[in-house]
Amino acid sequence: MNWQRVWRSLRAEFGRSPMAKLGVVLILAVFLMAIFAPFLATTNPKAQDLSRANEPPVGFTDITEDTRLVDGERQTVTVTTRGTLEYPLGTNQLGQDMYSRLLYGARTSLLVGLLGTTIAALAGVSVGMVAGYYGGRVDDGLMRFADVMLAFPALVLAIALIGLLGPRAVDIPDPFVAAGLVSDMPETTVLPVTVTFVVALVNWVWFARVARGEALSVREKNYVKASRSLGASDWRLMLKHVLPNSLTPILVLATVQVAVIILLESALSFLGFSGTTLSWGFDISQGRDLLATSWWISTMPGLAIVVTVIGINLVGDWLRDALDPDIEGESGGGMG
Amino acid sequence: MSDDVILRVSDLSTRFFTTDGQVNAVESLSLEIKAGEVFGIVGESGSGKSVTARSLIRLIESPGRITEGSIEYRDADLADDLREDHPGAVDGEFVDLLAIPEQTHRGLRGTAFSMIFQDPESSFNPSLTVGEQIAEAVEVQRRASSNPRSTRARTRSSAYSLRSYAAAAVLPGRGYVSAESKDRAIELLQQVGIPDPEQRVDEYPHEYSGGMLQRAMVAQALAGEPDVLVADEPTTALDVTIQAQVLNLLREIQAETGMTILLITHNLGVIARMCDRVGVMYAGEIVERGSLGDVFDRPTHPYTQGLLGSIPDLDAAGGRLQPIGGNVPSLLDAEMGDRCYFADRCPKAMEECLHKPPDYPAAGTDDHEAKCYLADHPYDKSQALPEEYFEEGEGT
Amino acid sequence: MRLTRFLLRRTAQGILVVWGVITLVFLLRFITPGSTIDFVAPLDASPELRQRLAEDLGLNKPIYVQYADYIVNLLQLDMGNSLLKGRPASDVIFARLPATLELAIAATIVAILFSIPLGVISATRRHQPVDYGATGFSLIGISTPNFWLGIMLILIVGVNLGWLPTSRRIIGFGPALELLVFEQRPVGLRVWFEHILLPSITLGTYFTALITRLTRNGMLEELGEAYVEVTRAKGLPETLVKYKHVLRNTMIPIITVLGLQMGTLIGGAVITESVFNWPGLGTLIIDAINSRDWPLIQGSLIVIGVGFVVINIVVDALYMYFNPQVTFE
Repeated sequence: MNWQRVWRSLRAEFGRSPMAKLGVVLILAVFLMAIFAPFLATTNPKAQDLSRANEPPVGFTDITEDTRLVDGERQTVTVTTRGTLEYPLGTNQLGQDMYSRLLYGARTSLLVGLLGTTIAALAGVSVGMVAGYYGGRVDDGLMRFADVMLAFPALVLAIALIGLLGPRAVDIPDPFVAAGLVSDMPETTVLPVTVTFVVALVNWVWFARVARGEALSVREKNYVKASRSLGASDWRLMLKHVLPNSLTPILVLATVQVAVIILLESALSFLGFSGTTLSWGFDISQGRDLLATSWWISTMPGLAIVVTVIGINLVGDWLRDALDPDIEGESGGGMG
Repeated sequence: MSDDVILRVSDLSTRFFTTDGQVNAVESLSLEIKAGEVFGIVGESGSGKSVTARSLIRLIESPGRITEGSIEYRDADLADDLREDHPGAVDGEFVDLLAIPEQTHRGLRGTAFSMIFQDPESSFNPSLTVGEQIAEAVEVQRRASSNPRSTRARTRSSAYSLRSYAAAAVLPGRGYVSAESKDRAIELLQQVGIPDPEQRVDEYPHEYSGGMLQRAMVAQALAGEPDVLVADEPTTALDVTIQAQVLNLLREIQAETGMTILLITHNLGVIARMCDRVGVMYAGEIVERGSLGDVFDRPTHPYTQGLLGSIPDLDAAGGRLQPIGGNVPSLLDAEMGDRCYFADRCPKAMEECLHKPPDYPAAGTDDHEAKCYLADHPYDKSQALPEEYFEEGEGT
Repeated sequence: MRLTRFLLRRTAQGILVVWGVITLVFLLRFITPGSTIDFVAPLDASPELRQRLAEDLGLNKPIYVQYADYIVNLLQLDMGNSLLKGRPASDVIFARLPATLELAIAATIVAILFSIPLGVISATRRHQPVDYGATGFSLIGISTPNFWLGIMLILIVGVNLGWLPTSRRIIGFGPALELLVFEQRPVGLRVWFEHILLPSITLGTYFTALITRLTRNGMLEELGEAYVEVTRAKGLPETLVKYKHVLRNTMIPIITVLGLQMGTLIGGAVITESVFNWPGLGTLIIDAINSRDWPLIQGSLIVIGVGFVVINIVVDALYMYFNPQVTFE
């Protein structure tokens, strides 16, 4: 694997493609939002203020009718609520700041997305490499199992597993709060452990397929056969030859999988199977019953998901176009 | 003399407008092809041979474009039909193929001229049977010539269109538009020497060998009984023994049907075996042309001489042992000066070569011409350019 | 001939996969924390009652006996009684199945109807506004979570514009058709259509976007193949070159990817049903999980697994139709 060449083609494609630049900018923005959420947030995302519930985003005005007791009598009054800068994206029915929740939601999405992809990749690549390298019965057995896994729609399997195991979560201390750099912010970030493992469990098969294919083809290369005849151990061969050769397709796959897992996590949170309430999917489900009155509660976190996933997909396209030029279908004028 | 000319190309220029700049793949090319002859175009790869062939069939695609010139095809009936609507395209019995609408031109493909390509394996659609693809060509032609005297009929090959395909797709035997075209496909396969054509007609391209496929491609090209067959490197991708078979096949068919063949190849052996007349192509131009005997026995252009490996005066070349050293020029417009394109590789380059040479008559029959000053002038060693001249000058 | 042999072979493989699914689903109950009996028995049940319930349900037998019983019962289409509804789980599941099938089929039709023409137009007018539009649409389409798209459709089309109903399924396609045929009343079909429109757009958008993208890229790649030029050279009209030859070959990679994405279709159906309160398998399985209705959970999972295997066989058969080079040997 020639890393210099990889790097060069990545840079060349990046220079050519405005979409690749847009993708990198979007992803950087989401990452910065997630990392520096405690600094960027204006209010503690968990703090409730029922007197300020359902306020619209800044620049919007919300007019509702309300029944109140005025001078001991029930009267219907028109309530006009104007969005303020204090809650730039409005508040939900608990009076929580949507903007701050959006920032912290990015943390959950990225944590689950990256960690879930890493676990899936480690498991899938190990299994796939062993299957492809040894072939024969090991390969058959592992791949049959993978088939059964694939026979199950990921979301359904994830719902079943989480629903039955119960969503568990771990609190990770927020380093900025612990260091005393910010106050009034949540002291911990919640990592939904069950969700992370389940999304990895339903997605490792993709990595196994790619790694197996690469291992199968590398195994037949002469230099690998030569090393083996010289007595190199199987593990050494896998780490030295098979793995580096599979890295490019695995990297491209992993990028796409981060997007898939973020979408999966948001779907699980939406259905109430997460393990944290600071999640975009959860917020969308919260606004669902208030669509007629407070449209922003569902809209804002959904936009955040779309923007994040677009960014990842653009970066994925960039990597694929740069590392695997066969995919771009260029019709060359036949010169002869 | 010119009344047996079937194809007259004048000043044809085809350029590709790429991100790296303008590429002049074919540059002011002129040639005449006589009815019933085998005309060969020979040149190295990158000389513009294939682009010339594709220009003739108008198959140049973006970013390429035919920018100049005319390709006139002699067909008295067609000329009569078009005279009214497209007076600019008609000159006597000749019709300028570049000046007629795409629709009309498409009607001529397959019927007036058809083409066989270099690599038979990639020239067939892998997911349709060979028979279906030949039958398709038959069908296009059948509909086009149902009334040969009318332009409409010629151009209404679009009648074999999506609608009839859609109808055929839901009916059994969907691939063949009609039973006749399937029978004709079998007949054609038989004609090109495919054994068991009744069975082979239903097989897919991947079930054929390379040589068989090339025969099938010839069959497909013959489906419309064309007047002119353009063969672009028809044997390059084949084994030597099969090459000979395919060439023999082309010879036989030519003898049988009397059609004209334009044979494009880099292989001098193929040219020698097949052609009546030859054009030598270099950097988008025909640099020498004439009868096979003239060009091969009395090569005039130093490039032709180099190609044939017969530089008579090696010492005079100033010790350049490689007769055609260096590379074919890039054909990038920016890098093409207004001089003889061969000059920087030419062992006999002189001061005069810094201007673009016109066609000079060369020794031999009437139509032996060369785009070289030397065709008409003796070589004067004292005029030779110093050896380093081009190496420094252009920095290529 | 080729197809029959292939179908037999794939059915045999499919049965193996289904058996694997059944086994996994069966084992699922044993990796779940808490004893099954806790969910079945009332909270204040006496030990005797618990004992009797466990015996009734066969929970006391060794696991392999339970497994064998389970398989034998399944072969007779007996999935046990739903704990929630007190009816056979298979009845409950098959009553819900048509709704899910309708939704999935409608979404697939939506997707194919829009995506393939869009992809072809996009590829043939490369670098023109329509191409940028289609490319942008497909990027957004594959990046949007469908439950959120559904909610946005409800918000805009249902709540703000008030054009379409936003939840439930008043009438099935079958009854609606009967109404039209036997009583000449098209109203049923109209109601059916109004209710299924938003859910099928919600579920179909991801696939529309995905197939548009695949079609465009596949067409561009295929247009560079040598045979395209040959086809043009023999005088075939451009529409036939593009649709008969190029598009047909483009279908091969499209079908491959679609086969791999079928799980997404079923998963998407589950969540779409949840958004629109669509009474299908998706909402059923979520309810079943929340109430630990084991027979229902297991039954729905198995039905989904079987459905997935069947879809994949269909996809493979299509693949073989389009790609004669495949032999599956």
